[in-house]
Amino acid sequence: MSVGSLIAGGFGTVLTPTGIFLMFVGVAVGIVFGALPGLSATMAIALFLPVTYAMASSDAMTLLMALFIGAISGGLISAILLRIPGTPSSVATCFDGHPLVAKGQAAKALGVGVVFSFLGTIFSTVLLMFLAPQIAKVAINFGPYEFFSIAVFSLTMIATLSSGNMVKGITAGVLGFMFSTIGTDAIESTQRFTFGSTNLKSGFDMLAVMVGLFAVGEIIAAAETSHHKNEEVVTQPSMKGIKGFGFTMKEFTSQLWNALRSGLIGMGIGILPGIGGGTSNMLAYTVAKNSDKHPEEFGKGRIDGVVASETANNATIGGAMVPLLTLGIPGDTTTAMLLGALTLHNLNPGPLLFETQASVVYGIFAAMLISSVIMLFMEFFGLRVFVKLLSIPKYILLPCIFVLCVIGAYNLKNNMSQVIACIMFGVIGFAFKKFEIPSTPFILGFILGPLAEQNYRRGLMRTNGSFVPFLTSPISAVFLGIALFVILLAATKPLRQKRKAQKQAS
Amino acid sequence: MSTKKFSFQRYRDMILGIFLLALGIFYTVFAQQIKTRPKLTPSYAGARVFPTLLGILLIILSVCMIFQSIRKMKTMQVSDSKKMSKVDLFSILLTFAAMVLYIIILPYLGFIISTIIFLFGQITILAPKEKRNYLLFAIVAVVFTIIAFIAFRIGLSQLLPRGPIEALIGY
Repeated sequence: MSVGSLIAGGFGTVLTPTGIFLMFVGVAVGIVFGALPGLSATMAIALFLPVTYAMASSDAMTLLMALFIGAISGGLISAILLRIPGTPSSVATCFDGHPLVAKGQAAKALGVGVVFSFLGTIFSTVLLMFLAPQIAKVAINFGPYEFFSIAVFSLTMIATLSSGNMVKGITAGVLGFMFSTIGTDAIESTQRFTFGSTNLKSGFDMLAVMVGLFAVGEIIAAAETSHHKNEEVVTQPSMKGIKGFGFTMKEFTSQLWNALRSGLIGMGIGILPGIGGGTSNMLAYTVAKNSDKHPEEFGKGRIDGVVASETANNATIGGAMVPLLTLGIPGDTTTAMLLGALTLHNLNPGPLLFETQASVVYGIFAAMLISSVIMLFMEFFGLRVFVKLLSIPKYILLPCIFVLCVIGAYNLKNNMSQVIACIMFGVIGFAFKKFEIPSTPFILGFILGPLAEQNYRRGLMRTNGSFVPFLTSPISAVFLGIALFVILLAATKPLRQKRKAQKQAS
Repeated sequence: MSTKKFSFQRYRDMILGIFLLALGIFYTVFAQQIKTRPKLTPSYAGARVFPTLLGILLIILSVCMIFQSIRKMKTMQVSDSKKMSKVDLFSILLTFAAMVLYIIILPYLGFIISTIIFLFGQITILAPKEKRNYLLFAIVAVVFTIIAFIAFRIGLSQLLPRGPIEALIGY
């Protein structure tokens, strides 16, 4: 089938009455989750997974992609109006977004944010549609050596880059890996760390672990401060006398280069494992600031700052989908959730997906494009409603979310076992917060660990115990080489800083 | 003057390191007791390889963490903002207790009764004292439970824990 007919087929899959309805719901709920500080895209997808259990796989993915796009964009509403980023992806949006509000240009700030969120998503989705099938074509020849090395590479990137403290980052990854070894070994089918319990035989369910760690853990953490008095003042932006999206054509064209650069940064960061939207918006903002003629004006209400941050964070979505769809490797927690959703619907992401389930893949692409159009209009014209929702108190919202977590976990096996696991991981998630251990490496260690282990052992069995083919396969060697380089770079960082400090002192 | 909270911040990474060291030793020891099948799978690709490696890695990391914490302890200043008040700790424990109680009663009382009780209790625990509006909380608890039940049990025909009310209405 030609690419054209595949794309047309994708739109056909999604543009059904059900599909359109699901995208509207998904984008709306996503925006709310993005806008409410403390709720994230990961949580939105976690909570909606149980809703998709009974759906067709294409409908399920349509809904989840709409949620993803809505949630990443929705963060800009609270970032601009409250100066609190709704998600880590919108931290840099606050810097110039809120000063614009203070100058009485709330509508302009929101308009710019929404439009460039939209452009960022479209840009990265189109790139994804061209890149992903090519990568899948190469990846289809990957064997155990390549998959082992890519898993190791992803794990090192995540463990060393996702937190300030490398020891804690790697520890989190190792702990996640350790949890994944509990249960029946896939190669030798012997019991590992089950201690005679039948419940542990099948191991921990990926979704129970993630819902526990990210949703339940957040709720327990929020309990700590929920009874504190903090009245947030929400600015109701005035929309009177605003034409179009609140900014002029000239302002729009002046931002195109900035947007393109930020879009590429977002896309690139998205493809690399371990550094998601939380980093890309900051990086794009910094680059925009440093390459400007008047960097001192940043932070005082320049639309350039909003454009850089919002284009980059939404472009990260398309980037993050590349390794997920082509290799089955999630780079952050949100795509890890999507991986869980895909496997739940018996779709195994990886190069084969493009051959066996091309309609689902192109359906995902189409859903991303249409959802971003829906997001553009819904976010701009429905803004007042979303702002109203920001005033729902957390003490009512969080218990309701917990009930949804319980329903989701219960439905995994239709008994209480996963609900109990979910709460246990909630406690672990809370402890992680208190001890400042990053949870992203944990979850990716849990998911990528088995991939690394099984491919390593399969590879060694194939070579009768020789490790050499792992190093002579070019792709495998490159990934292992980068992994080693990243570790050395991170490990010698304190040394290099010391030397630099000594140089400056003398 | 040292309070209990003060010492938690100071010894936090030390406590964590010691705990992880114990976990690493425990895990490595139990990894040696995994039954392998050397005839089926050669030992270099056996089920013990990764657990043993991971256990040793965790032991090394925890030792690093303990050393880091000793070095940091000498210079560390604990800021007041990081201290946890007793009210906060109490609210966390109550929240956790409510969650545990909820999943204990779920299989016996069913989704509808348990969820209404849980929501009412949990919202009351989390709400600031001056904002406690019990009538509103009760309405939220009942309405949310009914909507969730209709959406998941009837709309999406998924199973939910059954109890007397579910038996009565035939779901």
